[in-house]
Amino acid sequence: MSRYRYPPIPESEVTPRALFRQRRRFIKAGAALGAAALAPGLLLSPAAHAWRDGLEERLAGELPSQALAGDEAPTAFRDATTYNNFYEFGTRKSDPEVYAHRLVTDPWSVTIEGEVERPGTFALEDILAGQSLEERIYRLRCVEAWSMVIPWIGFPLADLLRRHEPTSRAKYVVFESLLDPDNLRGQRRSIIEWPYREALRMDEAMHPLTLLSVGMYGEVMPNQNGAPIRLVVPWKYGFKSIKSVVKIRLVEQQPTTSWIDQNPSEYGFYANVNPEVDHPRWSQARERRIGESGRRETLMFNGYADEVAELYAGMDLNKHF
Amino acid sequence: MPTTPATRILAFRLLVLAAGSLPAAWLAWQWCFGDLGAVPAEAVVHFSGRTGFTLLVATIAFSPAFRFTGWIGFMIARRQIGLWAFFWLVAHMLAWMGLDQYWDWPWIRREMVDLPYIRYGAAALLLLVPLALTSFRSTQKAMGYTAWHWLHRLIYVSAALGAVHLWVLTRADYLMATSFAVAVAGLAAFRILDALIGRRSR
Repeated sequence: MSRYRYPPIPESEVTPRALFRQRRRFIKAGAALGAAALAPGLLLSPAAHAWRDGLEERLAGELPSQALAGDEAPTAFRDATTYNNFYEFGTRKSDPEVYAHRLVTDPWSVTIEGEVERPGTFALEDILAGQSLEERIYRLRCVEAWSMVIPWIGFPLADLLRRHEPTSRAKYVVFESLLDPDNLRGQRRSIIEWPYREALRMDEAMHPLTLLSVGMYGEVMPNQNGAPIRLVVPWKYGFKSIKSVVKIRLVEQQPTTSWIDQNPSEYGFYANVNPEVDHPRWSQARERRIGESGRRETLMFNGYADEVAELYAGMDLNKHF
Repeated sequence: MPTTPATRILAFRLLVLAAGSLPAAWLAWQWCFGDLGAVPAEAVVHFSGRTGFTLLVATIAFSPAFRFTGWIGFMIARRQIGLWAFFWLVAHMLAWMGLDQYWDWPWIRREMVDLPYIRYGAAALLLLVPLALTSFRSTQKAMGYTAWHWLHRLIYVSAALGAVHLWVLTRADYLMATSFAVAVAGLAAFRILDALIGRRSR
């Protein structure tokens, strides 16, 4: 079997992204018009594509960008989209890329409830409206001792929470992922309690580094990376950064999480990246940076100690792992 | 279709040859075309370990297969498949040391200290070394069948350590680890029961 070798295309012939996007919108609009003409009154559901079109348009423009991973280069897009832990699609690293096309992201809404003055269920386009998007290049450290550098696009979680006015009793924020075993094949096996649940303390949730992310590498969030909206908490192990969020609940008592329920001796509530506190079965002192050879030394709070260490002042991090 | 007993045994030996060697061809193919994912070193380590452990379990299973069918082909091919298992498990160790750890001996030593599952795996492989070394027909004869037979029961200990190795390194999804553990435990239980029943009826 021989593989066809594509002739190399010079950089000068590559269509600029903005033009490409404009063209795609034009074609989509034409298709919608055509469909409307053929079947008047049977227009595509108004909710479909509502958030995606608006987001694509915003991503095509210039966004402010902050490199917060030192001079470390972003991981290759291909690696970041083919080596994933997203157990909703299976436990192999390659499963999410293979099966994530089944994730239905359009339309999408997020329920915000509990200790807030303005609870409700909100369409994703309404959640994104009025939030200023920006790019943040963060390190991502998995509890399995591998890491990447990802250019996320999103907005601070604090900006969303403030809009819904947390009450004085709001001490913790609980997040839930989508539950849809028909399409998320991994949910047909109870490896972990579904839907996936994660949680932050209020000050962690309100921290300016904590993002809700809707894109990466300048693109709309790929399904296997947690489309359409996910949490990014760069100083905690990756499993805290819950994907495909459908529910945000503010509560008074410290909640449990899916991983704590799965194995309380191995996974704690905080899960801060800490080279000095090992996982019971492996060392957390070093990490494999995907795309590099050898190992890197893991940094305290994943290199964000200056920003977040004060949140944990006086706490025994061996006990609160 | 093989018709005579000799051609049937030859066909079975060729099948074992294929089971031992074709995974290497597949792995080489994937490696050359860059189809092993974002971390090829990890993919090679996992694949060689799974292949080696599967062949090790198959080696053990050849004895009950002979007991149930009475077909001598299983006993004839047992040494062959056992050596293929050893080959893959050595490859597993070398892939870990070379591709994953870059032959960095201080690092390898630290991993041995840090990670209990590396020690279980190393012990499992170490136990297979005397079995591989005494696998020649001449050594078998020189040792005497009873002594050789006793020594080669180490394969059960090695497989059990292998199952522990896999169990300890598993995160959350225990399907594969459980399958191997159940297979090893079932084969060991059969061997013990078979010996007990055989002794009583003798």
